[in-house]
Amino acid sequence: MAFLDRALKAADWLSLRAVWAGGALLLLAAFTVSVDVLLRKLFTVSLGGADELSGYAFAIGTAWAFAFALLRRANVRVDALYQRLPLKLCALLDILALLALGWFVSYLAYYGYQVLETSWSLSARSNSALKVPLWIPQALWFGGLAMFLATLALLLARALQALVAGDWNTIHALLGARSIKEEAEDEAAYAREIEAEGKAGGR
Amino acid sequence: MIQVTLITLLVLMALAIPVAASMGVLALLLEAVYSPLPLVRAMGEVAWSSSNEFLLVSVPLFILLGEILLRAGFAERMYGSLIHWVSWLPGGLMHSNIAACALFAATSGSSVATAATVGTVALPQARRFGYNERLFLGTLAAGGTLGILIPPSINMIIYAVLTNTSVPKLYLAGMIPGLVLCGLFMLTVVLLCWARPSWGGRRIGASWRERFAGLAHLLPPLAIFLVVVGSIYAGIATPTEAASLGVVAALGLAWWRGRLSAEMLREAVEGTMRSTAMVMLIFVAAYFLNFVISAIGLTTLLTGFIERLGLTPGWMLLAVIVFYVILGCFMETLSMMITTIPIIAPVMFKLGYDPVWFGILIILLIETALVTPPVGLNLFVVQNLRKSGSLNDVIIGVLPFVFTLFAMLALLAFVPGLATWLPRQFN
Repeated sequence: MAFLDRALKAADWLSLRAVWAGGALLLLAAFTVSVDVLLRKLFTVSLGGADELSGYAFAIGTAWAFAFALLRRANVRVDALYQRLPLKLCALLDILALLALGWFVSYLAYYGYQVLETSWSLSARSNSALKVPLWIPQALWFGGLAMFLATLALLLARALQALVAGDWNTIHALLGARSIKEEAEDEAAYAREIEAEGKAGGR
Repeated sequence: MIQVTLITLLVLMALAIPVAASMGVLALLLEAVYSPLPLVRAMGEVAWSSSNEFLLVSVPLFILLGEILLRAGFAERMYGSLIHWVSWLPGGLMHSNIAACALFAATSGSSVATAATVGTVALPQARRFGYNERLFLGTLAAGGTLGILIPPSINMIIYAVLTNTSVPKLYLAGMIPGLVLCGLFMLTVVLLCWARPSWGGRRIGASWRERFAGLAHLLPPLAIFLVVVGSIYAGIATPTEAASLGVVAALGLAWWRGRLSAEMLREAVEGTMRSTAMVMLIFVAAYFLNFVISAIGLTTLLTGFIERLGLTPGWMLLAVIVFYVILGCFMETLSMMITTIPIIAPVMFKLGYDPVWFGILIILLIETALVTPPVGLNLFVVQNLRKSGSLNDVIIGVLPFVFTLFAMLALLAFVPGLATWLPRQFN
């Protein structure tokens, strides 16, 4: 029990760092692309490849954010029926949902790896001026998918453990669908927070 | 095959299996049952190529732009100066709500962000000036939906990617309907307040000097609009490049206002990556599902089935509208778009409907979905801003505007030029 909880905590820690790194990549991409646009407009020179690189940054950042979205229960679920069901049934559906996601994601990760392997064995390079060896962005991308799959497995193990122990509340806390209310509460709480901040300080 | 597919998908989704997993699992099942070829081997390629598509990079950039703008702190002053311009109308501040939403929509690609931002600054005023609170809330929830109709718009980019339509054309096409809808929302308020003067609260007059003095506060959103939308039509930037420029400009604005900090960036980035991961997982699954569906010939079967129904284009359009209005009551809007458009749009194009025009129609339907219970995200956003009272107040308050949206849909259906005229001028 303690082991799984520690492992999940580590996954949470790692996924948060991954998201910050992915966000930094995104900001970097925004700056690079902007500079590229301005240079092109003002001096008619181009950095070249800013679009291709930001595409890779996007794929890699997104893949590494999958685990974070899963841990924050951000996956969209249609909960019209779900929210009318009793806790135990919801918990069972939560596990079923995780299994379904796991099924799809294991295929995704497996065939994602195949893409990487093909590029590696053929020494494939991108079809552009940069001629990027494709295995580099693909390896980083696959790393995110692997992290996603590992997090899924951990969550599943922990949920099954809770199921055996009859601990329905833990299952719900780990996996329960966020209701649209929770979703909106977040959005609103944070708009209010910014409002309060604005009144306290700022110009 | 059609029935099996449809029923499987509905059962999976009704069981609250995540939308992405439902589509992925459905694709795997269809492949196992109906395909002689191991289509699943293409999954990695499909996932990789849809993940680094340059146009899609604009989606996280626009989410990030919204997250930064929300924190950049110009909404309050913008709202304050709009009060001077429109609040002499019957309905007073409710017009500033709608106008502020329209203006914020010109910088933000999301309806939820628009409703949340404007709602935060507007709600404290409702009780102070004695408005009918329900109608006041309604203007915020409905006005917020303008966020995705007036460019920039995340939903339009998703539509563009799904249907291979040009983003610049869609943006242009959204402008006139956006302004018309904004006007219709205001007209709704005026009419209601004429019928029931007690709903209108106190009007707020202003001198011309005050009005012009406040104009300076409209400059920040205008600047962002020019950078994000103007750069596309000046021929300087593609949509993704424009979104990048917008992010940089918004960071500059936040810095100028003294709001830029590591903490603020961290929060913005976390929110952005969470939403992006959620959308992209659905996208990857949908791409694979569409690949399988067309490979096993289901798409042809489906189009054939619809053709055999023998509906005229007009009836088909009505059917599509009814379908989305009903589905929109129960489903989150981005996943609704990604799951249905790849199947419905080609049928509509084949019937002769213009892709750009149909895109705007879809956006209007999505706006309707955002304010129709039980699953209308904007309703909940506005409700949560006020902390007290019942959600029913918002639902009742927005009802007149749902009819306005229906009127707008009809208007667009009968006067397609509203959407198609402006893009044609730029050709």
